Amino acid sequence: MMKRKDIFLGNGAVALGLVEAGCQMVTSYPGTPSSEILPEVVRLVKSEGLNTYIEWSTNEKVALDNAFAAAIAGKRAACFMKQVGLNVAADSLMSAAYLGTVGGLVIVSCDDPGPHSSQTEQDTRLMARLAKVPVLDPSNPKEAREMARLAMELSEEFRIPVILRPAIRVCHARQALSWGPLKNNAGKASFEKDPGRWAATPRFRFILHGELNEKLRRIAHRFEDLAAHNFHDLAPGEKYSLGIIAGGVPYAVVRDILTEENRKDIPVLKIGAPYPFPESLADSFMSACEKVLVLEETDTVMEYFLRDRKKVLGRLSGHVPSEGELVPGVVYSLVNKALKDLDLPHFRGGRNQEVLDLVASLDLPVRRPTLCAGCPHRASFFAIRKARPKAIFTSDIGCYTLGLNLGGVDTCLDMGAAITMASGFYHAFDQDQVTQPIVATIGDSTFFHSGTAGLLNAVYNDARFILVILDNEITAMTGMQPTPGLGIRADGSKGKAISLERVVAGCGVDFIEVVDPYDVKVMTGLLKKANKYINEPTGGIAVIIARHPCVIAYPREAITEIKSVRVTDDCTECNFCLERFECPALYHDVELGRTNINQALCVHCGVCLQVCPKGAIVEA
Amino acid sequence: MQIVNIVLSGLGGQGILFMTKVMAQAALNKGLKTMGAETHGMAQRGGSVISHLRFGEVEGSLVRTGTAHFLLALEENEAYRNIPFLAKGGKLYVNASPQSFVRQEVNRYLEKMEIVYRAIMAEKIATELGTPMSSNLALLGFFSAFEKDLVTHKQLRDAINQVTPSRFKESNFKVFDAGFEMGAR
Repeated sequence: MMKRKDIFLGNGAVALGLVEAGCQMVTSYPGTPSSEILPEVVRLVKSEGLNTYIEWSTNEKVALDNAFAAAIAGKRAACFMKQVGLNVAADSLMSAAYLGTVGGLVIVSCDDPGPHSSQTEQDTRLMARLAKVPVLDPSNPKEAREMARLAMELSEEFRIPVILRPAIRVCHARQALSWGPLKNNAGKASFEKDPGRWAATPRFRFILHGELNEKLRRIAHRFEDLAAHNFHDLAPGEKYSLGIIAGGVPYAVVRDILTEENRKDIPVLKIGAPYPFPESLADSFMSACEKVLVLEETDTVMEYFLRDRKKVLGRLSGHVPSEGELVPGVVYSLVNKALKDLDLPHFRGGRNQEVLDLVASLDLPVRRPTLCAGCPHRASFFAIRKARPKAIFTSDIGCYTLGLNLGGVDTCLDMGAAITMASGFYHAFDQDQVTQPIVATIGDSTFFHSGTAGLLNAVYNDARFILVILDNEITAMTGMQPTPGLGIRADGSKGKAISLERVVAGCGVDFIEVVDPYDVKVMTGLLKKANKYINEPTGGIAVIIARHPCVIAYPREAITEIKSVRVTDDCTECNFCLERFECPALYHDVELGRTNINQALCVHCGVCLQVCPKGAIVEA
Repeated sequence: MQIVNIVLSGLGGQGILFMTKVMAQAALNKGLKTMGAETHGMAQRGGSVISHLRFGEVEGSLVRTGTAHFLLALEENEAYRNIPFLAKGGKLYVNASPQSFVRQEVNRYLEKMEIVYRAIMAEKIATELGTPMSSNLALLGFFSAFEKDLVTHKQLRDAINQVTPSRFKESNFKVFDAGFEMGAR
């Protein structure tokens, strides 16, 4: 039978590899660039009628703990997250490494060199080193699929969690892959009680640490001969002036460049399994080369493991930039510079300064991302700034971070920090007897992820601020995943909907109001009422739930009443609406000499009718 | 076969991902090895979005600056912004007014680099057909009228058929064909 051939997203290739490996449970919290792995598992499982258990977990630690339990019950399990999500799951990861597994446990943590959609450029390989678990670093979707299978097999064989870290250019690459029928893994759950291991006290942890180190020694030995992913192209007995050691995406990039330039005189050591580091393999490569250029993303990992530091051109020697993505243009220049420095024949192409200067001279508009036309968050931020103009606006991670453009976001630290930083700011000013207004904004999904611990802490310690939960009933930024509030599970089946109001009340909050932010006037009034409450001696934290469906996920539910708008000649070009409301459908029309509406972008929400100080935006 | 590098650019929400998907599917159907890279996440909220697509024996998904054979841009400024990707002798297809495109200073560079450009008012075509958000298909249809050697109009049309949800098929074909006819004239 001819095998099916389809174009897979890199994240789909990871999903395919894991399902092929008989993965029985997958858990995840969405985050770019990892978000599509779980939906791809859903797609494969539905198309092949498998019984894989799939869940969107409330956060990454929850996801890892769930998968870990399945793995020590002998199942094959995996969890997916973005690299900063692994920070949330770090507590679990470090301990799980010591305890080990019975079945297989693969942790997929997706890195974001650039960064394109993250707070940091941190390197998951360093987390693997810290936790002492093996890590695999694919160069493209095809290898990501193979490595997903390998990771599961290694994990089960050595009874250790294994990390797969595809970088964003693997996750969001597309490649055609052949695939065949997939079947259920018949392995049954069975948990053998062994409190000395699964609930080990510190004295036994010391013993487990020794076991872990022994596993790593054995895996390092395996990685020396892992020819499919750790290999070089040295000719026997040959000596080279320059060699390249590369892993992950930079390997694919440099391989293509050397092929294009037809450079057979530069050998490459590809390291797809960088930890535990295959030292002998690297040593034999290094001894054949006078100098070695190390290309890895995003931090230094392999470079630290290379013993003959004097030969190495890399980040520590200043040859490779320590931040940013190693895109092909950059890698081309880095290799070329190394060739020139070593007096070797160099490439003829390279940076075209003329065209870069030309583009710079065109003064092109910077396209910053912005909230969608009709986004309920825009209405919320507008009301918040109107009602509490002098407040510190702590915010959080999601689409609504784009409230930055509206002057409604002053801080963004990590998931849940809108609340914890609001309480921190409150106490810092309160200590000086200063009443500093503070309005925190957090999305519904982010609140479920890590809002509650901070909120009950703030309530318990009597902090005073207004918390606005921007409830659009979806995890929008990462591609419309359901939230616990929705009561719909990862595979579309029905779950129990969790009430935000009840969770907030459970955290000890007494002031809870729900409002539709499309009604700016009502929301503004509510914010003023909330402000009064937080300043009363017997008051506390005020929570406003601004609830309106996401206009992209639920266009029909979001726009229940079509309101066509137009701008009259009363417009004085004050640009208040453009700056403070910043709807993509509003623009300055030079010919008309006033603001105008782009009807192709307008979704007829009508919120802008409440915005113009001159009353120049009216119903058409 | 020789490697073909394509860059697709525009703004979040304009359907760059869909256009990439269609081209990749068409290439796969033709038996070409395909590799691509997309932008997801925050930039999709109206920021600059870019996709890379490569046909042939390649390991990496990204097109190096100065090596793209084709640049398809759904917005004029995004076309200018991504001109550094184009190789000498490359081709630029853009959603812009043929009367006003291209700016003088850019034209000098394009001439020197022997880069051919073709502009089509893709958004206007899509809007007139009642689907203002389908300018991506109009541009793709226009492209297919000129670049038959890469993938034919029929191959692209079949790919659209494969990747479009059924309720949008009719309107997608309408816009795609209108773009093609504009180019074939």
